[in-house]
Amino acid sequence: MSSGRAWHDRHLGYLFVLPATLMLVGVLVFPAFITLKLSVTPEGGSGWHFTLAHYQNAFRDPVLLQTFKNTFAFVAWSLVGHFTVGLGLALALNQALPGQTFFRLVALIPWTIPDVVAGIIFRWILNPIFGCLNPLIKIVIPSFPAEFQWLSSPTLAFPAVIFANVWRGYPLVMVMLLAGLMAIPRELYEAAAVDGAGRLKRFLHVTLPGLSTIILIALALDMVWEFRRFALVLAMTGGGPGTLTEVLSTLVYKTYFQFFTFEYASAMAILMSAVLFVLSLPYIVLVGREQ
Amino acid sequence: MNGAAAASAGRERRLEAVASYSLLVLAALYALFPIAWMLSTSFKSEAEALSLPVRWIPKQPTLSAYVEMWTLRPFGTYFYNSILVSGVTALLSTVVGALAGYGFSRFKFRFRTTLMAGFLATQMISGVLVIGPYFQILAAVELYNTLTGLIIAYVTICLPFAAWMSKGYFDSIPRELDEAGLVDGASRFQIFLRIIMPIALPGTVATLLFAFLLAWQDLLWALCLISIDEKRTVTLGVAFAVGEFVVKWPMLTAASLIGSLPTLILYLLLQRFYVEGLARGAVKG
Repeated sequence: MSSGRAWHDRHLGYLFVLPATLMLVGVLVFPAFITLKLSVTPEGGSGWHFTLAHYQNAFRDPVLLQTFKNTFAFVAWSLVGHFTVGLGLALALNQALPGQTFFRLVALIPWTIPDVVAGIIFRWILNPIFGCLNPLIKIVIPSFPAEFQWLSSPTLAFPAVIFANVWRGYPLVMVMLLAGLMAIPRELYEAAAVDGAGRLKRFLHVTLPGLSTIILIALALDMVWEFRRFALVLAMTGGGPGTLTEVLSTLVYKTYFQFFTFEYASAMAILMSAVLFVLSLPYIVLVGREQ
Repeated sequence: MNGAAAASAGRERRLEAVASYSLLVLAALYALFPIAWMLSTSFKSEAEALSLPVRWIPKQPTLSAYVEMWTLRPFGTYFYNSILVSGVTALLSTVVGALAGYGFSRFKFRFRTTLMAGFLATQMISGVLVIGPYFQILAAVELYNTLTGLIIAYVTICLPFAAWMSKGYFDSIPRELDEAGLVDGASRFQIFLRIIMPIALPGTVATLLFAFLLAWQDLLWALCLISIDEKRTVTLGVAFAVGEFVVKWPMLTAASLIGSLPTLILYLLLQRFYVEGLARGAVKG
């Protein structure tokens, strides 16, 4: 009877997992393989002719190289911004102060705004003539040019996009860090205080070690999300001026659906995913070890 | 602790509170400022939005932008589409994800860890990697330009985190409850449905909210899989409005604001589940 139950259970386990597995294979894994195959198929070709030409072209494509650089910078600066704002706010929100619920509620609001809307808002804020940022800066720095064109500036368009993305993306990092902070037992702080540890020492020896895993997880997840960020860039700059704010997801999208060179777009998408996979490998190993 | 030390500790705490409050107020301004500017613009007439100097609060507030948005473009239809797509996505992905999460949490079977790692790895798949072939598959089975095709895609994207999050949550529920159910003669599925799911409600609500948001906020998949106006979602409608009505900022901001409202309201209603669900599910220490 008991072995019958175990046999039954083992197969039931598959049954519970089956629907999700089938969908993942059908919608993500199978199309990913088609993309892989397409990326080694000659342009307009079909069947079993293979070529590495698209990859060779990709490595020589200045736009793609520029876009890779942009994407790395976009991800890195976004992570720095999200982590700084997120940790600061999580620490402030973790002290049982009156009104804390209200502030937590407000701090998470950018998370509920769709990317495309965030892109539009910041485009309007940065509008050179009728936007509200230029007049605000003018109050602080009277010598600031009156109709400064943020989003067509070769030097400042990119920081402007990062600025918008920091606003859009910090809440999720913040909430994960906050959940991590709440999981650190109060007694640890009290014990450290009894031992005479000051605020900095308590932060370094209690908070940071207790938070280290969740910091890694939050940053790893955020990295994946920022690598894929699409609508915010598309709505805010469309990748311009030129290709200065182009990121990989907007470039691959354009190559597919505006230039219709499917094979080359596939090769780009494969390269992008390979890089993302390598970058997120430590996370997968980390989470796997936790289990 | 002597009196002086207690006094200094009290002062330190007060200082900390002041610092925290200043930071929180600044953060609230930071979080709300772009939305306030959008709100202000949406109540202006076109002439007022394009007049100098820039006015923070509209002098003659008007609802004309909202009326215009609703009449110039079929935003009612977009809303219907988005609510349908996001609602079904949230329900389906939470149910299918919870089934998988329960399977991973309660059963030992071959390839269990491999499958779990696979679920995790699919989370790293970027939409643009699979969107081309998925588009062709949908066209082949005549699901291109249908909300069904969109829902299938969204449910699948939500599945990995739904499964992982509910697994984490189920892990925190004692197995003795399952065993008690088995002794009472309930089947595994009945135990899942009647005993475990009700206890896991906060985690489930958090997953629902997450999935709804993901579907509601997406632009990439809708952009690639929908090409006819009557099937557009809200985000798609807003994105196209930007191209069409470049200088109608009151209307664009009105549409953007209305398009963000459902997720905002849902979040405000469900927020107490959100942090708890995340804390016990995804972030379980």
